[in-house]
Amino acid sequence: MSDFNFFLEVLIGGLLSGLMYSLVALGFVLIYKASGVFNFAQGAMVFLAVLSFVGFMELGLSFWAALPVTIAMMVLVGMATERFVLRPLVNQNENTLLMATIGLAFVIEGVAQLAWGVDVRRLDLGIRDEPMPWLADNFGIFVSELDITAGVVAAVMVAALAVLFSTTKAGRGLRAVADDPAAAMSIGIPLQQIWMLVWATAGVVALVAGMLWGARSGVQFALVLLALKAMPVLIIGGFTSVPGVIVAGLIVGATEKLAEVYIGPYFGGGIEGWAPYMLAVLFLLVRPEGLFGEKIIRRV
Amino acid sequence: MMDMSRTAASQADYVTTANRGFAVGGPILELEEISLRFGGVNALTKISFNVLEHEIRAIIGPNGAGKSSMLNVINGVYRPQEGTIKFKGKRLTGMTPPRAARMGIARTFQNIALFKGMSVLDNLMAGRYLHSKASFVEVALQLPRARREETENREAVEEIIEFLEIQHIRKTPVAKLPYGLQKRVELGRALAAEPKILLLDEPMAGMNIEEKQDMCRFILDVNDHYGTTVVLIEHDMGVVMDISDRVVVLDYGKKIGDGTPDEVRSNPDVINAYLGVAH
Amino acid sequence: MSAALPAADTFPKLLLHHARQRGSSPATREKSRGIWRTLTWRELADDVAAVAAALSARGLHRGARMAFIGDNRPRLHVTMCAAHALGAVVVPLFQDATAEELLTPLRDAGVTHVFAEDQEQVDKILALLPRCPAIVSIVHDKDRGMRHYQRPQLVGYAALLGEGRAVTKGALDFLEAEAARGSGTDEASIIFTPGATGPSKGVVLTHAALIDRARAAAEMDGLTDADLALVYLPPAWIGQSLFGYAQPLLVGYCICCPESTETMYSDIREIGPTYFLAPPSVLDAMLKRVSSRMEGAGGLKRLIYRQCMSLARYAGPRLLSGERVIIGSGLAYGLGGLLIYGPLRDVLGLSRVRVAYSAGDAISPEVLTFFRAIGVNLKQLYGTAETGFFVAMQRDGAVRPDTVGPAARGVELRLATDREIQVRSTGLFKKYLGDPEATARAVTGDGWFRTGDAGRLTDDGQLLVLDRIKNIGTLADGTTFAPQAIENLLKSSPYIRQAVAFGTGRGWVCALIDIDTAAVGSWANKQAISYTGHADLASRAEVYRLVGEAIGKVNAGLARDVATAAMQIRRFAILPKELDSDDGELTRMRTLRRDAVAERYRGLVDAIYQGASAGPVGLPALQIRIEDAKPHSPATMRSAA
Repeated sequence: MSDFNFFLEVLIGGLLSGLMYSLVALGFVLIYKASGVFNFAQGAMVFLAVLSFVGFMELGLSFWAALPVTIAMMVLVGMATERFVLRPLVNQNENTLLMATIGLAFVIEGVAQLAWGVDVRRLDLGIRDEPMPWLADNFGIFVSELDITAGVVAAVMVAALAVLFSTTKAGRGLRAVADDPAAAMSIGIPLQQIWMLVWATAGVVALVAGMLWGARSGVQFALVLLALKAMPVLIIGGFTSVPGVIVAGLIVGATEKLAEVYIGPYFGGGIEGWAPYMLAVLFLLVRPEGLFGEKIIRRV
Repeated sequence: MMDMSRTAASQADYVTTANRGFAVGGPILELEEISLRFGGVNALTKISFNVLEHEIRAIIGPNGAGKSSMLNVINGVYRPQEGTIKFKGKRLTGMTPPRAARMGIARTFQNIALFKGMSVLDNLMAGRYLHSKASFVEVALQLPRARREETENREAVEEIIEFLEIQHIRKTPVAKLPYGLQKRVELGRALAAEPKILLLDEPMAGMNIEEKQDMCRFILDVNDHYGTTVVLIEHDMGVVMDISDRVVVLDYGKKIGDGTPDEVRSNPDVINAYLGVAH
Repeated sequence: MSAALPAADTFPKLLLHHARQRGSSPATREKSRGIWRTLTWRELADDVAAVAAALSARGLHRGARMAFIGDNRPRLHVTMCAAHALGAVVVPLFQDATAEELLTPLRDAGVTHVFAEDQEQVDKILALLPRCPAIVSIVHDKDRGMRHYQRPQLVGYAALLGEGRAVTKGALDFLEAEAARGSGTDEASIIFTPGATGPSKGVVLTHAALIDRARAAAEMDGLTDADLALVYLPPAWIGQSLFGYAQPLLVGYCICCPESTETMYSDIREIGPTYFLAPPSVLDAMLKRVSSRMEGAGGLKRLIYRQCMSLARYAGPRLLSGERVIIGSGLAYGLGGLLIYGPLRDVLGLSRVRVAYSAGDAISPEVLTFFRAIGVNLKQLYGTAETGFFVAMQRDGAVRPDTVGPAARGVELRLATDREIQVRSTGLFKKYLGDPEATARAVTGDGWFRTGDAGRLTDDGQLLVLDRIKNIGTLADGTTFAPQAIENLLKSSPYIRQAVAFGTGRGWVCALIDIDTAAVGSWANKQAISYTGHADLASRAEVYRLVGEAIGKVNAGLARDVATAAMQIRRFAILPKELDSDDGELTRMRTLRRDAVAERYRGLVDAIYQGASAGPVGLPALQIRIEDAKPHSPATMRSAA
């Protein structure tokens, strides 16, 4: 295998996992854009979603029966969160809202484990975690079929959300609410419906992200830590930009894999874990608003 | 290019409240005994007045008189503890801003509330929110209804752009516009909803005399051309008196005068309230 | 291609020709509500026929006068064609003139019908109605705000078109019959002179004269029906009558109307005209727009821009004129084309321009060189309303900043003993309106028109225009003093919008400066100088220093030549108020009315000459400073060079 093929292999693997980071980060962006809340519970929602999905299958539901049931459940969880946690806290400051979502995270984690138990489960999507033969035979590049599938699904999901929020009525409403809630209401945009829609969407995004990550590394409590993985993506991409987190996800994915392979040996490995955070710190110094985030202008 | 700027003042001379496109009709909005309290503070005390269809109705009063609260009550931001509001004779309960918008009440804000990240065109298109019906699927697949609706909305918005003479800033992000133009864009966004009643919260605040004259002309033209009922707030008696049919005067949350500009001007309570207030 | 130009002798006949020849090609385009809307030649002819029928029913007859007050819009264009079709004489007037300014032209021309663009113009006419009882009909284009106007004279354009269509029913026979009654010797237009020197006079021009000049210029530049022009200039200007009306009707090219005055810059980019006419004030504004944007750009971008522009000033005009340049700079210019000149042309909307003219006033060499440097084929032309505009024109590949080119086809030029430029051509005016004596004074016995401009003919037959004869004087020591040349040098500074130089009969030259508020304002912002308005800005010591530096540069240039060294500006003052056409200081074409300025600021000028020392002077109602400018001695300059 040539060095270049190996480089490509690492890069592709990195970009694919990057797309999955993007997907997780997207859940944050949606909620942050619409309501200015940093939803600390997003990781917990990912965990709850996929755990429930596996749980429903264990109860005897088929894949295609468990999917709509879980989606419906996540929509309800999202809407309920908006209705019972966020709405009563309207007009509170950011810290209060953040604390509320931290609390929410513990509640969701607890409820999930209470309902479905604490065992690590395997999620079999029927896709092999083996190199795709076509790529391996023709180009000598070994990339797992599961990774490719996950990347494609994430890409489709991201694209669908991008269309949803750029061209549709709800999308326009969301952007208006993000810019100025009072003005948005005055032109007839129902703020709370937009928030519910966003939370419900975030719930569905969490399910998809959970299924992809779960299929890859098992359905386990560690999934809640995905929220931390999304942090550098959010910092680099900007908290309010959908295209920003997509690009940032790809950057983070590629960076951590390439760093691990090419720089890691000098540090004795393990670099994958912290390289993205280093990158994020650099971004904070140079471009604090992120790649595509709104420029923060402080007038003196 | 050649700086053939139009003079706004000359036009205001001809469109007056006396000769207009739509004759003033019956009451479209009736407020009865409205009282609003924040904690122990009385913001509004037993205020009653009505607004007639197609008229220009001003609410004036010194700063802190409760004018903005009044507007916020009409548009559902605040719910008064007492009193009733009737819209076209029907009593309203449980008002919210989106509901007010659906009933045809549009508004502008004292401190300009535009969607700062969007262009002028997008702001006005956002104003068409209630005129968009196509679903996600229709939009995503560009089905005929979605396309037709988009064209209709764009046409309506372009008419307003022409009406307000803001063609040259169509694509400009609103944050980059000077204050006077932002006010005009905000008026445009409110108009895009094709409202029956337009609530204007200090539309001329912070403007120079030319901008004020322009704004007056646009308000008169909107009323004349579209027949829109206008309720506007000002703390400055000057310009408003020239363009209003009737004026309500508030002071410390109480109504102290109501009538034509001339009546209000000669009302001793109003004179007292305004004495000592610099203009 | 030029051989294909139709031979018809009146505008309605030309219109019918194109309706037959290229009925489905675009004749006019107008951006309205965000969309370019097209009228084909056939549609144009149909509308003209209908409007003509309706106007005829409203009493517009052969020889009657119809005034036009408004921006260039297809509906104004249609109505003008319709008036011509009926054999009426069109009287375009400046749309920003006050009602009082409109009174004399309306009355002198005996106007019976008026086309007024909008409420603002209608209001002016209505105010004049008691004093202009001859006016029987007022057509208005835009209905906005006019719902409740009840006057019987008023009719909206749409209603007028409807009335006419009911008669013509989409056929052209009415138009054809009316057109057949006209001939080239009929009076077509009355153009009022801008009145830069003395009162405005109505210049009567025939169809034949206008078409003759349009044809001469169109043939010289090889215009075809594929050309495209943006019409944005006031219809009352003779240049617009030729470029936006006579030439498109002769050649068959399409004219495009911008959405509004403010959107002109983006509209021109969308249209990409191939044929462009602009007075120097517009070109100047375009240049200032670019340079202020580049000066505000980042360091590297600005550096590249400056490098490219200094190279372009050397190579660009030479390449356009077919001269040879050093190979290295030719290559570099090519590279600059990719980096700077092409994008600049594109930003200005001039990428596709094949022929562009500056006319109406003297252009500063700086501005001309800029446009030629970035590869726009900008040329100068000279002409007046009386001479049908196209008198002297620069030819492709032979453009010099100082001259306006040789005589146009069909024009004879000669210089009288007092250096006055005299013109004889088939495109001369017929007479001044209602003033046989003025007409007789203006034309010599053998048919030459006295322009009143002083000039010179170079050895290769190029015309050099100095100034108005009456402006040229001598300093106390007998040196010839032509203020316009100095003023143009001053206006090269981005900070100086207008300048008025004085010196006739005096020992030395002084200047009143009108600063460019936008440019000086943004400079002041960068220097963190706060100011409350124009008057405040104009009185700041820092601004005086800024303007003083600009004048110092001009003086240095003047000092380089012994002949002009005495022309250096010794003192100047900045005017507290912008020169304005509403105050009569500028014409409606924004050219200087020297006498009015001299009269208004007589006290200031006297103070400049009398005052022993520089500093603030208290004039009635004014607080103006007078500053000394830095003169250069010719000797030191030469030794330095």
